[in-house]
Amino acid sequence: MKREITRVEHPDHILSYFRLETGPLAIVTVSGIIYNVGMTAGPYFEGQLAQCLYDIMKGRRTLQDMLMLAGTYLAVIFLVQLMRCLKRFYVRRFANDTSRNMRHMLYNSLVNMSRAQLEQENLGSIMTKAVGDVDACVEGMRKFTTEVFDTGVVLVAYLVMLFGYDYRLAFMSCGFTLAAYFIAGRLKNVVTSYSAAYRKSAGLLNQATMDRVSNEITYRVYGCETQRDEAYEIRLKDYEKRAVRANLWESTMQPLYNIISMCGVVLIIFFGARNVAGQGWTSWNIAAFTTFMSCFAKMALKSSKAAKLFNAVQKAKVSWKRIRPLMKEYVEKSTDSEIDFKAQEALSVSHLQVGKPDGTQIFSDVSFCAEPGQIIGITGPVACGKSTLGKVLIGEIPYEGSIMVGDRELSSLSEYERSRLVSYMGHQPELMSDTIEENIRLGEEKETDGFLKAVCMEEDLQQMPQKVKTHVGNGGVRLSGGQQARVALARTLYHEGQILVLDDPFSAVDRKTEAEIFRNLKKIAEGKTVLLISHRLWLFPQTDRVLFMENGHTLYAPHEEMLKKSDDYAQLYRMQMAGGTEDAE
Amino acid sequence: MQNKYGLKTVLGKIIRGSGAMTFLMLVLIIGAVVSALFPPLVLEKIVNCLTAGQGVSLLMAIEYFALIAVSGVMESGQNVMITVFGQKVTHGLRSEMCDKLRRLPAAYYTANEAGKITSRFVNDVDTIDTLFTDGIIGMFADACKIVSILAVIFWLSRGLGILLLIVTPLLFLMTRAFQKKMLDAQMENRVAVAKVNNHVPETIQNIRMIHTLFRQKYMERRYDEYIQESYRATDKTNLYDSVYSPIIIFTGSCVTAVMMICAAMGGGMREFFGVSVGTAVAMISYVSRVFDPLESIGMEIQSIQSAVAGVKRMNEFLREEERPEAGKKAEDGKEDAGGQNPEDGIRFSDVTFRYGTDQPVFEHLDFTVAKGEHVTFVGRTGAGKSTVFRLLLGLYVPEAGNISVFGTKALEIPDGSKRKLFGYVEQKFSPVNGSVAEQISLYDPEITGVQIQKAAELTGLHEVITALPKGYDTQIADATFSQGQYQLLSIARAVAAQPQILLLDEITADLDSDTEKRVLEALERAGAGRTVLSISHRLQEYTGNQRLITIGQQVVQ
Repeated sequence: MKREITRVEHPDHILSYFRLETGPLAIVTVSGIIYNVGMTAGPYFEGQLAQCLYDIMKGRRTLQDMLMLAGTYLAVIFLVQLMRCLKRFYVRRFANDTSRNMRHMLYNSLVNMSRAQLEQENLGSIMTKAVGDVDACVEGMRKFTTEVFDTGVVLVAYLVMLFGYDYRLAFMSCGFTLAAYFIAGRLKNVVTSYSAAYRKSAGLLNQATMDRVSNEITYRVYGCETQRDEAYEIRLKDYEKRAVRANLWESTMQPLYNIISMCGVVLIIFFGARNVAGQGWTSWNIAAFTTFMSCFAKMALKSSKAAKLFNAVQKAKVSWKRIRPLMKEYVEKSTDSEIDFKAQEALSVSHLQVGKPDGTQIFSDVSFCAEPGQIIGITGPVACGKSTLGKVLIGEIPYEGSIMVGDRELSSLSEYERSRLVSYMGHQPELMSDTIEENIRLGEEKETDGFLKAVCMEEDLQQMPQKVKTHVGNGGVRLSGGQQARVALARTLYHEGQILVLDDPFSAVDRKTEAEIFRNLKKIAEGKTVLLISHRLWLFPQTDRVLFMENGHTLYAPHEEMLKKSDDYAQLYRMQMAGGTEDAE
Repeated sequence: MQNKYGLKTVLGKIIRGSGAMTFLMLVLIIGAVVSALFPPLVLEKIVNCLTAGQGVSLLMAIEYFALIAVSGVMESGQNVMITVFGQKVTHGLRSEMCDKLRRLPAAYYTANEAGKITSRFVNDVDTIDTLFTDGIIGMFADACKIVSILAVIFWLSRGLGILLLIVTPLLFLMTRAFQKKMLDAQMENRVAVAKVNNHVPETIQNIRMIHTLFRQKYMERRYDEYIQESYRATDKTNLYDSVYSPIIIFTGSCVTAVMMICAAMGGGMREFFGVSVGTAVAMISYVSRVFDPLESIGMEIQSIQSAVAGVKRMNEFLREEERPEAGKKAEDGKEDAGGQNPEDGIRFSDVTFRYGTDQPVFEHLDFTVAKGEHVTFVGRTGAGKSTVFRLLLGLYVPEAGNISVFGTKALEIPDGSKRKLFGYVEQKFSPVNGSVAEQISLYDPEITGVQIQKAAELTGLHEVITALPKGYDTQIADATFSQGQYQLLSIARAVAAQPQILLLDEITADLDSDTEKRVLEALERAGAGRTVLSISHRLQEYTGNQRLITIGQQVVQ
């Protein structure tokens, strides 16, 4: 049976997840009740077996009876255990399904968050943690569901049986269990406060470890290692102390609660013996006595574990509280559009103004127009806003003024339309840990060869035994910086838009390769509008026009004209070319 | 240098250090095992009394309860001791590993990500902790339980003993088979979970690409594939998990049924299986006690398996090659920081260096910087400018040639006196846990509050810091500094101990012009009266009339 991932409606309500799992939960309910009521069968039959043996010894019954009884006993136990098996499996399947659904929903809301959103308030790390929280939350939901039956139902079943045998004795002996329960409840706060202190100390220790390890070189250079070791030792001591205390309260109390509960056994033996002897409140045989005893012992043990139920629910609550605000309705961005993405489009920017969130202007009144087939070089000193301009074009930064793609205003396009019209490559190569081929295709089917050739990756690929199937490693670490940038460029070209925005695509490649890629780019991008943002100017003579940005102002002219127009541009260009003659050797 | 401390040595040291505790723990474990044997015996007596038609005295009832209580107390005690002991061991291990950090060469930290090293401290040591709490000791206790219960059963009912002797190994084998299947499925799951977990930060890192290429659906599809993989593996584990325990319990019932039937057969058989009804009742309660520890032994073997992997990784870490100890020779000579001969300046003579077995970063590098001189290093990316600083700081050992600082070899400068000599402003400020003041002092007790404030004033940060909610005591995580202010903080950290040499690694990269100006002014103040070595990518700017030293053959673009 193949079970699919389901989309959750109202994902911010925990009940939505229970509702989706009605099937498994129904099985759990039926099998859980049968199993837990059946739990009493064990003690009952064990009592009957002992009684039967006694009767046989006395000659009142025969081996035949014993065989019958043993057979029934085994059949009943088998059924009960079968139910247990079903219950265990379906409770786990419920948890497994829920975990899958939660992750699915969480990921959907993550992948649709903008970069700005993720950077703000550290949402990135919150999301990473939330995914971890799903485990804790689902574990709690599973334990809760399990314990409802394993503790709740079974306790009731045992109690019914005990009261059925002798209500007065049951009443008296269960008083101790109640007392144990009461004490456990009273101490619950103490236990949670100790384990909270423990968890806090563990968090601090982890922080200290991370700090000690990641800043080791800084500490070493400043000669501060010894002091840091001492500080770490203090953390370790604190952690040890708190861990011991928390464990002491959590794991050692249970046998003690059990002892308190078991006080009742004194009464049971004493009064139970009188019952058997016929002097008590009810008349008992041996079977009743042993059943009562073992039933009571099992109940005492169960109730000493009841605290676990509360702990599980508590833990689930805490993690759910953290996940809940991140659970959004499923988002599916529309891909409807009437635009013909194959048509060539010009880009015209007029009176573009962009400011920082704090109100200061990055640049104002930028105007230029780029026709299909043109390559526009964009440059300027550090922090002039050239990268910002690139980010405006991919809709990451809001703007005032106008950016027209063909005859459409950029801000009026849907995310889908914008992404199809404008292709972008940023400073970071943003590679996935997958093969080179898959990094370019990203799920599409088109051939990659031409694009890899265009970015001069052929020679590099020859060196790799697995060619395009080479795995690039996490974030592309197995490739050199230049290779990463080229793969990223190939990817941008592969997912062709009519407008290409390339932010510093050549920073990590040498000049010879740069020149070759540029030649190929001209071929591949024929009929497209290319904006080449760069601080390296030596290829700029080959561009159609140059946009020079400085101190919030811009000049727009072909390279030769720009050299005359702007002294700063001319100076920058000459300085780089002077260095370049030696570099070219 | 090979390290002499393997894991075994460390463990041996810890156990020897707490001999009394180890002994007490053993006593309690044995106590818990033995005391758990008695209650059923008393129960046997009680039932026998009842069947014989005799009354049961209150004393006997109390005796039964008391034995249960003793057994419970012993069990508690055992838990306490195991916890305490396990924590002692993990503490000791972590201390030892922390000590190791200092002895590792700088190259280790570039080759291994901080997250990975931290995971050795946290996750791997935790597997050892589980090994102690649930693993070896628990297994020992459980094995003791089984053996002792079997012994009592043999004594009371030879037939049942033999029956169990046949069934127990079979069940054990079955347990192991289940464990193996489950472990395989868990490994599958772990691989899938690693993919699932990796996909999230990867998405966050690549979010711009995902959006500009509209790959949300594609990313979701991949994620769903990974969770589906994990789902299937988990489902498999769940199946084994749910079948296993019912089988064990049903087997227990079968043993009980067979025993009762045999006892009912009378004659030799009854003799063989023990005589009385009381024995039968006691036996039933023993049978369930044999199966419980059997089940936990299966679980414990698993935690031992995962601990073995953890132990391996930790052992690797502890045996990692260490850096030469030359720097430690003059540990007590904090006073002579600065070397014997300041007039010698900083000197690189004929230095060749390579990282690992790569191409040499530079060969035959020669230069001298006079005391008080300000120089700038230029060269293309990867030419080794930052490497010059690392060599100077003694973080790496040159392959050939000599590096001396004011007459002392770079490698022989003790760690403790480096701060008086060098102020190193890194490319990126690395915040440490703690307050703003501690960012500057780096917890150095010799740096007073006055010095911290002076350093902050020098860099123009004093006003910014006092404007924070708790001033200098504000936790760094709660303070919002701009990129440029972090650079200033970095400079304050470097100058706090009044070093003679300032090393500046390209610190004006990525700053807007206004902040850049402030940083440069701060640097100018900080550089006054010191020897200053700086690295710059952009040679055309800010070098003033300083001497340029070119690293590598080529001049920058």
